[in-house]
Amino acid sequence: MRKYLFIFKSEVMSNLQYITNISISFIGIFLMLYIFLNLWKFIYSDPNELINGYSYNQMIWYVIFTEVIWSVVGGRKMCAKISEDVKAGNIAYNINKPYSYIGYCLSTNLGLCAVRAMLYIVLGLLIGLLFLHSFPSISILEAIAVFISFVFAIVISILMLTSIGLLSFFIEDSGPLYWMYSKFILVLGTIFPIEFFPMWARGILKYSPLNAVNYGPATLYVNFSWNSFILVIISQIVYLFIIYMICKLIYMKGVKRLNVNGG
Amino acid sequence: MLTEVKNQIRVMALSTKYSLMREMLNKVTFISNVFFMILNNASFIIQWLILFSLKEDLGGFTLKEVILLWGVAASTFGISRFFFSSAFKLSDTITNGKLDAFLVLPKDVLLSVITTDVSVSALGDMIYGYIMLIVYGITVENFITFTILTICGGLIVVSISVIFSSLSFYIVKADLVSDTANSLMTNFATYPDTIFKGITKMILYTIVPVGISVYLPVRTIIKFNVYNFFIIVVLCIVLMTIAYMVFNRGLKKYSSSNLMISRV
Repeated sequence: MRKYLFIFKSEVMSNLQYITNISISFIGIFLMLYIFLNLWKFIYSDPNELINGYSYNQMIWYVIFTEVIWSVVGGRKMCAKISEDVKAGNIAYNINKPYSYIGYCLSTNLGLCAVRAMLYIVLGLLIGLLFLHSFPSISILEAIAVFISFVFAIVISILMLTSIGLLSFFIEDSGPLYWMYSKFILVLGTIFPIEFFPMWARGILKYSPLNAVNYGPATLYVNFSWNSFILVIISQIVYLFIIYMICKLIYMKGVKRLNVNGG
Repeated sequence: MLTEVKNQIRVMALSTKYSLMREMLNKVTFISNVFFMILNNASFIIQWLILFSLKEDLGGFTLKEVILLWGVAASTFGISRFFFSSAFKLSDTITNGKLDAFLVLPKDVLLSVITTDVSVSALGDMIYGYIMLIVYGITVENFITFTILTICGGLIVVSISVIFSSLSFYIVKADLVSDTANSLMTNFATYPDTIFKGITKMILYTIVPVGISVYLPVRTIIKFNVYNFFIIVVLCIVLMTIAYMVFNRGLKKYSSSNLMISRV
């Protein structure tokens, strides 16, 4: 465990050197949030109106929270990097080291995500305050619980993206699979909560990974209850285990197919 | 002069052809890239079905108009990314001295740089655009209008990228400006302009002209208007001319330390 902690710390230190670049990349998130703000303002004719149990403020905070999770993970580059490592054979330099490749991916990416999270959470809160002039009513203890769920969501997302990237062992380019994954997360969980879907779809979506990677933590933030917290954490632990096992299986099967010439 | 233009177009066509042939070497990857991009774009229908179940009309846009909006946006994006993929990496090309390799070519530098690569997935965007036009209700008239206006839209998007990327001749971190402009052009294009008001709307029709590349073409396809059609074509030519002039003016400032790269 100490070696992974060391990799994590090194990655945090390294990324702190590029903090300005990381901050500037928030412009893209701001633009998306601005579009959603305008869209929801148009749909909510009255700010006090409730649509599927969500007020205008709750809706905007939900979108801010899910966008922050999505951007902290920054899946496209992460997936492309793992995929490129497999395709170009760079993975050969990692597999003979005294650590697990999955553990290495997790700790390096968590290092980057930690730096992004520090910035994006603050910037996300500032944007919310700027647009809505208020925060959701949440105590410090509840905020800590939401943060725990947020960390779980990040870890599960990284493992999911690692699994997709590792599929390059079997198909040359895992990019198209990433597009599908990203649309699944963005369309079904980021833009609006599960309650906005037809009744028949809600049941399926509630048991899907969405509850673990964005819907669960975001609903905790906008409408906290300890009962929901326990349910979200249980689903996150279950998904963490399942995704880790899938990731390990893909790696174990895939690495046997690895063929690197020269170097 | 005419022979020179013809030659330049021939070189651009050959460059695109060979880039495409290179990408088609692995047929499975090629087809999956195109197919998944179509599927990727189609997933947004779910988002709009949900939104229209909440409100039937978004400032004059119903699901039918949004489908057309997506078609125009995807096709515009596809044309710009497929034929001129390198225009969106121009800032990096300038900043890292990669222009050297193009300066020695006996052809126009800007056109050589921006047509040096193709993006296969953008082919999926172009196909998706026409699928959306079929869903909307294709006719001979709107097919022709759609084709001409999305080509103009694609050229406008490329021109904007070239203009903002050319700032890299003068300032170091210009890639941030060009990336932001490109993001604005893409992100705003898939939402009806009726949800934006005031200064945002003004920006969308001036500094970042998504209004000219997507919104106005959509209105023109819905209800043909010669005046709008003429505006789009003329503005496309104006923006292309500005982009060409801005790049070539900046090129005079270009200097590098003789970067050695190989273009495979």
